[in-house]
Amino acid sequence: MIWKIAKKEFLLNLVSARFIIGFLLCLFLIPFTVTVNIDDYDSRMRVYHVDKANAENSFNNVRVYSYLRPEVVKPPQPLSIFCRGISGNVGNRVKIWLGDKPLFATGKAAIRDNPLLNSFFSIDFVGIIAIVMSLLALIFTYDACTREKEEGTLKLQLSNSLGRYKILLGKVLGVYLTILPIVLFCYILSTILILHSPNISFSAGEWGRIILLFFASLLYFTVFIFIGLLISARLKFSITSIIVCLFFWVFFVFIVPNLAVYMAESLKKVQSYDNLQYVLQDLDKEYRKKCSEYSDALEQPNWGSFWNYFGGSDGSLLIGCTSKAQMERHRKLHEYTEPLRIDYANKKWAIQKAYLDSLESQRSFAETISLVSPSEVFRLVCTSLCCTGVGGHYRFMDRTQHYRNEFIDFFKNKKIFSSFIYFTPVPAEEFLTAEEITRILDNKGSLPGSNIEKYPYLDLSDVPRFQRRSSNVLTDVKDAVGKLATMVIVSIVLFYLSFLSFTRYDVR
Amino acid sequence: MLKTIIIKELQNNLYSLRFHISFLLCIVIFAVGTIAFLKNHDTKMQEYSKYQAQFKNQLKETAESNAGLLAVNKRAFIWRPRANTFISDCKDKYFPNRFNYSAYNVFGFEVGRGGTNPFLSTFQELNWSFIVSVILSFAVLLLTFDTISGEKETGALALVLSNSIPRAALLLGKYISAIITTMVITIFGMLLSILIFLFSHKVAFTSAMLMEALGFLLLVFLFVSCTAAIGILSSVIAHKSNISLLISLTFWLVFVVVIPSTAIFWANKIFSIEHIDAVNEKIRSAHEDLNKNAPPGSWSAQVGNPFFPAHKLRADLQTKRNDAEMTIRNAYYKDMFSQLERTRFLTLVSPVALFDYANEAIVGGGYARFRNVWADLHRYQGQFLEFFKTLDAADPDSPHWYNPNEYYSTTRKPVAFEQVPVFEEKPLSLAERISFLRNYLVVIIFYIAAVFSLTFVLFLGYDVR
Repeated sequence: MIWKIAKKEFLLNLVSARFIIGFLLCLFLIPFTVTVNIDDYDSRMRVYHVDKANAENSFNNVRVYSYLRPEVVKPPQPLSIFCRGISGNVGNRVKIWLGDKPLFATGKAAIRDNPLLNSFFSIDFVGIIAIVMSLLALIFTYDACTREKEEGTLKLQLSNSLGRYKILLGKVLGVYLTILPIVLFCYILSTILILHSPNISFSAGEWGRIILLFFASLLYFTVFIFIGLLISARLKFSITSIIVCLFFWVFFVFIVPNLAVYMAESLKKVQSYDNLQYVLQDLDKEYRKKCSEYSDALEQPNWGSFWNYFGGSDGSLLIGCTSKAQMERHRKLHEYTEPLRIDYANKKWAIQKAYLDSLESQRSFAETISLVSPSEVFRLVCTSLCCTGVGGHYRFMDRTQHYRNEFIDFFKNKKIFSSFIYFTPVPAEEFLTAEEITRILDNKGSLPGSNIEKYPYLDLSDVPRFQRRSSNVLTDVKDAVGKLATMVIVSIVLFYLSFLSFTRYDVR
Repeated sequence: MLKTIIIKELQNNLYSLRFHISFLLCIVIFAVGTIAFLKNHDTKMQEYSKYQAQFKNQLKETAESNAGLLAVNKRAFIWRPRANTFISDCKDKYFPNRFNYSAYNVFGFEVGRGGTNPFLSTFQELNWSFIVSVILSFAVLLLTFDTISGEKETGALALVLSNSIPRAALLLGKYISAIITTMVITIFGMLLSILIFLFSHKVAFTSAMLMEALGFLLLVFLFVSCTAAIGILSSVIAHKSNISLLISLTFWLVFVVVIPSTAIFWANKIFSIEHIDAVNEKIRSAHEDLNKNAPPGSWSAQVGNPFFPAHKLRADLQTKRNDAEMTIRNAYYKDMFSQLERTRFLTLVSPVALFDYANEAIVGGGYARFRNVWADLHRYQGQFLEFFKTLDAADPDSPHWYNPNEYYSTTRKPVAFEQVPVFEEKPLSLAERISFLRNYLVVIIFYIAAVFSLTFVLFLGYDVR
């Protein structure tokens, strides 16, 4: 009997305008959204290849260790086509500095070519599914009880020996049978578009995640089916039911996501990033003062001229030629300043960590409020499954921190900070005294180091490299499992309440 | 007759469940949004004041040590948090709100990290503009979707039209009553918001804000008129109210979600501009050419000796490099502005987008603010350079070889901080606001006229049986 009711509901829905309009909406929105996101992924991939090549180039083409600043470039997540998460807010590159621990990723993932376009928001596949599927679920269920009551058929059905639970289950099954092909169609269409895109190739794990995404979508619209069913079972008229359903929809899908973030931003205070920079600059000043005091204490050679002298505030320095005494002075200076720079990076990290913690506290507050909305729970589950949520980002940043430690250990173990190769490619045996330099200059001769190009690049085969690890499905599922369980529990509760309401429903 | 129809429709609307839910929802969001704004603005202002104090301290330190350094140092101007964001935030935090400049140039703009949290998803603040464009537009469609088709189903329409009531009067009556009903919600919400504002004593409610609120109300009236016309259009397209509802919802989704969120795609596809990599490559190549053709010694420097002859060559080279870079960059910025403006023009199909853009002129935020600051900053940069050149001319220890990047060959004397011109953002003038708003107003009025005319034409041929 349940099956008969389900079949009847399914056939009724199939010929209804709501099915046609819903289907057309998906037919238009899904391919469009997926195409837009594939296009976006392609351009991020293009940027990634350029950045990666630049990073490799600058890693390999160094003549002194002080210029060695490896850059970790993160490839875009292929599943960001489905759900972008925070991947558009955080960058894709992390440069390893001695004077700073990685705080944020930088790069073009965060900034568009035209920053003015930032004022336009974009939507992904999951966003469209969250909006359209919830709407369809409500549109198909708002009159599950009320329509039949209005038409008088409910009374007729119940005058037979038919259990109310059977009618309810039949209706739920009917709606399921109606929406399931639409959801399936959305996923199949997206898959076809992805398979036809020459620049995208998904691994088996990623296909597995898409299947999980599909099941999460089923669970998501189940919640909305039961919301619609409950509202229908509580009200007497279809028009009232649809109005209430639609207001719930707007509230869950459009108001709560904005409300949650806005409330978190208003109630959880976070220091401005610009002010954080000022605090860090004070520590930098303190560091420079210590370095300057140490430099003043060192013996000052009477020769002060340099040839091919390049450097930056991050400690990079390249000296082509100067006197032997000056070289020795710089060696001693770096032996002191570079480990001190690392110490100061640790000091700065204490402040940066507090800042990061406040950002995280704000985020988790927003997340807690947003759990009120099934669409937000669904979005959070999808960001975890697509590795575009904060969890994946934190893990990536942690790995860059570990890599920086390995890199520094390498420098320390090899005693690079106290070596000449840290800042000059010229071998120590070629260093000249002040008198020798004067003599060569008087004879219009060539100084060693006056032509930097003739010195080879460093052999960096023993320098540790960043090992990229693909994210673990289990870890991401673990991130999502709590929220999935919440959706299951909410569905059960809603169904139970719908059942209770329907058993007491006045069918007259 | 029209008056009777309006009163009847108003009574219907005011007693309806959709009005009650819309009213309750809007009022709650108005209240919550205002309370959250007051807290948020307070925090933002504290952080901004701290930043400004530190910025001025640094400026003072530099001025009192070396005026040359003051001229070449790149500084950032950051937008001050607006006190009227409770009306509309105009997505100020997502706009380029950080401008880099020195006495020699306005280098560019970026989206500052400021107080935004990158781990949060992009969102819209719960201000008046959000309430109107999302919730109220939805409420208007719910109030109007069955205006005609619903009455046809119940048979009331045939009954009404069997009397000597012109169709125009009936349609206009329903239309006006829908607008009035929605305006009632808006006015109540705004008044509640202003009351919370006044009682909080946290932010002063100035006369300028009152004028902006009135301007906003006028804009809401136009927006609601437009949305109500679309709602009634959905009602006359279909003969069944449930189909009208689906059409209304589709319109709403297209206007609120689809058009605004696909703008970036259209911008990149139809109005594409050069990639920043290509622009950087052009700059690099221009610099390389200049370096190659520079006379020998153009890179030599003796920091301690301003009159070192090579400093003149160095200053010339740096000026040429700077000019070449800025010519390329300014052309690129022009393309960026044009790309945004053309994309905005395309998205004017959506009344929601239209309403958002027009709001920028009302409250002086968003792109209107951006263009205002960009122009003002260029004017200020000219004044600052003049100030520095006057200072430099009075210094006999300076060779007056202006170098936009280094202070080697200009005055290094200290200057009293009080004399240094500091950039202050001026709010948009009334004339600037009107000039920005004018085109949007014309479009929205045209939109209303077109949709309502279409609705009227369809209604004339509507089968009421």
